[in-house]
Amino acid sequence: MIEILAVSKKYTSGRGHITALADISFNVEKGRSSVLAGKSGSGKTTLLNCIGALEKPDSGRILCNGRDISTLGRRERALFQRREIGFVFQAANLLPWLTVAENLQFPLELNGIRGKKQERRIDELLATFDLSGYGKAMPGELSGGEIQRIAFARAIAHKPSLLLADEPTASLDSVTGNQLIQLMLSLCADQHTTLIIATHDTELIAMTDHKIYLKDGRMETGI
Amino acid sequence: MRLRFILKLSFLHLLRSWRATVVLSFMVISAVASLVFLASLAIGTNDAMIRNSTGLFSGHISGSDIPPESDTSLLTLPGVEHVLVRRQQRFLLWAGENIEPVLLMAVNPLQEKQSTALWKKTVSGRYLKPGEDGIYINQETAERLQVPVGGQVHLGNAPRDRLKTLTVVGVYKTGISLLDQGLAFCPVDVFPLPDGLITTAVFLQDGSPTGDILQQYRRLIPSGKFQAWPEFMPDLKQLIDLNFVCMAIVMILVFALVSVGISCAFLIFTLKNLREHGIMKTMGIMPVDTVLLLVSQIGLLTLCAAALGIIAGMAAVLLFSQTGIDLTSLTSQNRYFAVSGIIYPRLTPANLLTPPLLAIVFGLAAALWPSLYIIRKSPADILRSV
Repeated sequence: MIEILAVSKKYTSGRGHITALADISFNVEKGRSSVLAGKSGSGKTTLLNCIGALEKPDSGRILCNGRDISTLGRRERALFQRREIGFVFQAANLLPWLTVAENLQFPLELNGIRGKKQERRIDELLATFDLSGYGKAMPGELSGGEIQRIAFARAIAHKPSLLLADEPTASLDSVTGNQLIQLMLSLCADQHTTLIIATHDTELIAMTDHKIYLKDGRMETGI
Repeated sequence: MRLRFILKLSFLHLLRSWRATVVLSFMVISAVASLVFLASLAIGTNDAMIRNSTGLFSGHISGSDIPPESDTSLLTLPGVEHVLVRRQQRFLLWAGENIEPVLLMAVNPLQEKQSTALWKKTVSGRYLKPGEDGIYINQETAERLQVPVGGQVHLGNAPRDRLKTLTVVGVYKTGISLLDQGLAFCPVDVFPLPDGLITTAVFLQDGSPTGDILQQYRRLIPSGKFQAWPEFMPDLKQLIDLNFVCMAIVMILVFALVSVGISCAFLIFTLKNLREHGIMKTMGIMPVDTVLLLVSQIGLLTLCAAALGIIAGMAAVLLFSQTGIDLTSLTSQNRYFAVSGIIYPRLTPANLLTPPLLAIVFGLAAALWPSLYIIRKSPADILRSV
C-alpha cells in the first residue's frame, strides 16, 4: 500500500519560489492502479518522482508498505528503487547501446536474478509482450510502440511492488497507447503490482479506477 | 552489481558507440605511439653519444697501471667484444728547435682500426701501419712542432737525449680536448719501452652489464685501475641523465594533457548520454557501480588504445632501427657525435611500458570527473534536464 501524507515540495528558480506540490495526501491500495491527472506543470511528474524516491519532498511522508521512503539514505534509496520500483517514461527509456534482451537483463542483474532463471524470465517477458525474436534487436531498429512495450517489460522484469509510469502513451498513437495500457493494467493486476500513472490522456484516465487530479500542485479531487 | 556484468556493459558501450570510441582511442594511440618512439629515440641518442664517445678511443671500460706481467686475455669475459692492449709513456718530441711533451701510446694499428674510430679523424696523411717507424700525432702538436706529414720527429726523455726518430705518418683532430692535446701514437713494435705499464680499452657488446664486468676486472687484476665510461666521462653521464629526466617530464606532460583531453571528451560523451545514466539511476544502480562503469569504460578504452599505440610505436622504432636517422648535419660540430651522427632508436622494456602505463593511470584519473558529475546529479534532475 502507498500512503501519501501531506506531501509538499517547492522549487526555487529564476521566477522565484514555485509550489510544485502542496499538502498532497492519498492512498493507493496494493495491486490497484491509480492515475495522476492534470495539465502540464500541475505537479504530476514531481509527485511521481517523490513516490519513486527520485527526489525528496520538503515536508510530508510517503509510506510504501509502511516504510517511510522520504527518509531513506542514498544506498537504501537505490536498493528500494532496485527492488520495489519499476519506471516507465514518456520516451527514450531504453539504453540504446544494449539489445532488447540486454535491456531486460539489466534490472534482473541488479536484483541478483542470473543464469537460467534470468534467461527464462527474459524469454517469458518477450513472449508476454509479443516480442519473441526481438531479443537481439537494437532499440534503434524498433518502432515507438515496440520500444514502450520493452520499456514496460523491463520495468516489471524483476516483479516490483510498485510501477510508476510518466506519460507512457504520450509519444504513441491512440491505438498503440490503448493496447499498451490494457497490457499494463492486466499484468499489474496479475502480479499484484501497484500502478501509478501520470498522464493528461483522457482515454487513459478513463481506464483507471482511482484518479487524482492535480492543478498547480494541489489536489483537486481524490476518489 | 557484478563486476563481470559491469565490464560487459562497458565493453558493449564502447563497441556499439564505436565512432566515439575510435575518436577517443586515436588520441591515446597517437600519444602512446609517439612517446614509445620518442623514448626509443632518446635511448638511441644516448646510445649514439656513448658509442661515439667510447668508440673513438677509450672503450666502455678503461684500464691503466696494469703490471706488464698481467695476463690481459683474462679480461675477455662474456659480454666483452674487444680488449685493446696499449702501453704508454710520457716523452718529449722535438723537431728542429720546437719541443713538445706528449703521452705516447703504443698500439696495435690493425686492432685499433678494427675497434676504434680515431683513424677516421685523420686530417692529413694516414693511420699507422704495424712495424713502421711512424707516429700519428694530433693537429695541435704537429702545428707547435711545425712538422708536416712525412716530416721527422725525435723522441726522448730530455732534450737532445734521443731514443728514437719517427716519421709523422698522419695528423688527426677529434674535437675532444683530451685526445687533441699532448697525445701521440706509434705501433707497439717500435715503442722504446716495451715493458712499460699496460693500459687497456675494453669494448662491450650492446646491453652488457658494465658494472658487473668492472667488478670482475677489479677482482681479476687488483693492482690495475679500471674505470667505466661514466667515471671517466662524467659530463656524458650527466648529459644522459638529463636526457632521461627531460624525457620523463615530456611523458608526464603529454599524458597530463592527453588525460585532460580524454576527461573533457568523456565528459562530453557522458553528457550526451546523460539520460541513460538517469535511467540507470532510476533502476537503482549504486554510485560505486556508476564509478566502476565509467572507470572500466575509460580503462578498457585506454588499455586497448595503449596496446595499439605500443604496436604502432614499435613498428616505427623497428623501421628506423634498421635504417637509422641521420642527424649528421645537426651533430657534426658536437663532441659527443665525433664519429657518426646516425641515431638508431632502441626499444627497452622501460620505454616500451612506461607510456602505456602512464596512459592507463592518467586515463583512470580522467574517469573521475565524469563519474563525480553523474553521482552528484539526482536522477530527477537528469531526467528533467534532458
